[in-house]
Amino acid sequence: MRLLLTEDDAELARSLIARFRDQGYEVVHMPDGIQGLRAATEGDFDAIIVDRMLPGMEGLELVKAVRLKKATPIIYLTTMSGIDDRVRGLEAGGDDYLIKPFAFEELLARIRVMVRRQAPAASRLYAGAIEMDLVARRVTRRGRPIELLPQEFRLLEYLLRNVDRAVTRRMLLENVWDIHFDPHTSVVESHISRLRARLNAHCDIDAIQTVRGTGYRLLAAN
Amino acid sequence: MRQTRILKAESFRLAALFAVLFLALTAVLIGTVLWIVAGTERDTLVSANESDIATVMNGLRAEGLGEAIEVVQQRLGTPARAAAPRHRFLPDTYMVIEDAAGRVLAGNLPYVRCEPGTFTLARPWPGGHHHPQMLLGRCAALGGALTLYVGRDTAAMYFTRQRILHAFGWVALGTCAFSILAGLFLGRRFMAQVDAVTRTCERVIAGQLNDRIPLRGRGDEWDRLARAINEMLDRISALLENLQQVSSDVAHDLRTPLTRLRNRLETARDHSTGITDYAAAIGQALEDTDRLLSMFAALLRISQIEAGTRVRSFAPVALSELLERLYQFYLPVAEDCGRPLSRELRAGISVRGDQELLMQLFSNVIENALHHTPVGTHIGLELGSAGGRIVASVRDDGPGVTDEERQKLTRRFYRGSGSRTAEGHGLGLSLVAAIAQLHGAQLLLSDAGPGLSVAVAFVPQPPPDSAGLSG
Repeated sequence: MRLLLTEDDAELARSLIARFRDQGYEVVHMPDGIQGLRAATEGDFDAIIVDRMLPGMEGLELVKAVRLKKATPIIYLTTMSGIDDRVRGLEAGGDDYLIKPFAFEELLARIRVMVRRQAPAASRLYAGAIEMDLVARRVTRRGRPIELLPQEFRLLEYLLRNVDRAVTRRMLLENVWDIHFDPHTSVVESHISRLRARLNAHCDIDAIQTVRGTGYRLLAAN
Repeated sequence: MRQTRILKAESFRLAALFAVLFLALTAVLIGTVLWIVAGTERDTLVSANESDIATVMNGLRAEGLGEAIEVVQQRLGTPARAAAPRHRFLPDTYMVIEDAAGRVLAGNLPYVRCEPGTFTLARPWPGGHHHPQMLLGRCAALGGALTLYVGRDTAAMYFTRQRILHAFGWVALGTCAFSILAGLFLGRRFMAQVDAVTRTCERVIAGQLNDRIPLRGRGDEWDRLARAINEMLDRISALLENLQQVSSDVAHDLRTPLTRLRNRLETARDHSTGITDYAAAIGQALEDTDRLLSMFAALLRISQIEAGTRVRSFAPVALSELLERLYQFYLPVAEDCGRPLSRELRAGISVRGDQELLMQLFSNVIENALHHTPVGTHIGLELGSAGGRIVASVRDDGPGVTDEERQKLTRRFYRGSGSRTAEGHGLGLSLVAAIAQLHGAQLLLSDAGPGLSVAVAFVPQPPPDSAGLSG
């Protein structure tokens, strides 16, 4: 997988490149907005990581310019933590928004989810023996129906769309509950443990894997 | 120095302008008066001349030249006329009958070479004055080669004009003097006010931030200006105080976690024996770092909110729905940590505000209740209206907080006596207070007897755009 990283902080860039390479990613690094835009429009990448504040060309402008030509998934890295900043960033055509400082696993998880996003039009989602009917709002595991509360349903839906990929607590908060701040309680853990209990009620294989230091992963082999 | 400042004062300049305008107006008025008076006097002279000419002509027609000469001599000889008021030595009426050959038949002028028509005759004063004597007169043909000239001295007109001009001079002088005095007086008063403001500003610049401009109590524009400046200074010093408070709080409260972090790293360096020890120490150090970062994030949030720019994007928020969502969101974790959560939410209530911030507000209050109460405490979410206001509250039946503590709860970094060891950075309720203030809502912390009640009272929004968005 090829990534384009536009980031003017050399040290951050170096450490990110090293860690992405460990994960088997190829990373092209551009230290300013103008070179970043050229690389983004001329090259072929699976995802683009854009710093909001770049020399030469602002991150927001870069994303707008890239969007005129390409649909490559884009994630912002930024120190601009205001609500307006996030909204403006997404309106400009970015797909996700990560505030500095962040854990590398968070960035990695988001890029993986972004790159292989399932077609949203599908009316049925599968993961191994788990099947979700989005129209009838029904979930079954090995043909046995599973009763879920609305927010458990939304949580499972998000996990299903990202089956076999780790999702972080923050990603769950943002995408399932639309919460963009950090709760200081283990809310997500409690929700996951309830969902887990329902999914595993008649089954001895735990479908939801806890990924240490990152979050959770719904396993296809269940 | 003071004089030049007064001269520079705007009010003085205005007074000078008014003086000039007033003088100009007076000049126009005087000019008009002069023109009218001169016209009237001239008409008087002309009609007197005409009457004399008519009398002479009548005499000539009735009884011939002799009679005409007689009439002329009679008129010039009349003592009333000869004793003309201003120039005792000179008559003010002049007549002459002369023929074409240059002989004067009668009259008190030498030969004037009279040709019919109106003309002004200038002749040197008999006394040798440097202005010539001016006669306004008319020449009439008497028949044959004879002509009659009747003229009158215009000195009276001249004197009238002189008197009017004199009067004007005095008026102008008075106007100027009055304008200058008024200008000086107003200028001094104006400068006194400017000086008061300037002195206060200079003292504030010099560091006396509590100095204020004294009000004169007249409620005039000066008082209004002074009050506005004073209010501005109040606001600035409140902000500054807040800033100073925050910076010292930040410095103070960062020291504790940073010291902890430092100790941890030091211990790891000195006492770790293997990779697992190091890994554990690094893991803990990362947690400490995250806590510090979340503290910064919260501080940044508070200052962004206090800046008040979010108000522009306010929209109706369905509060009933929002609280129901939060209830569903926190229900599992509340059960897991042994603090049953319940709700009593009136449907269809909305307020004008920022959805995300309101979410954070109530989320913080709920988390506060979860963190700072003993296991088994019941937490209730309520939404209703009281006294015409929309009131959303989170109450618990825990041990509650003392009145004294309740006052301090919304301060930055304040943590209740029981919560020093609990998670959190002491910023939760400050953020709540900031968000409530942004929404013009009142944050009420009260004794729920037992327990603590945190209520947010919103002023109901005007109905039009809330109608369709509730429920």
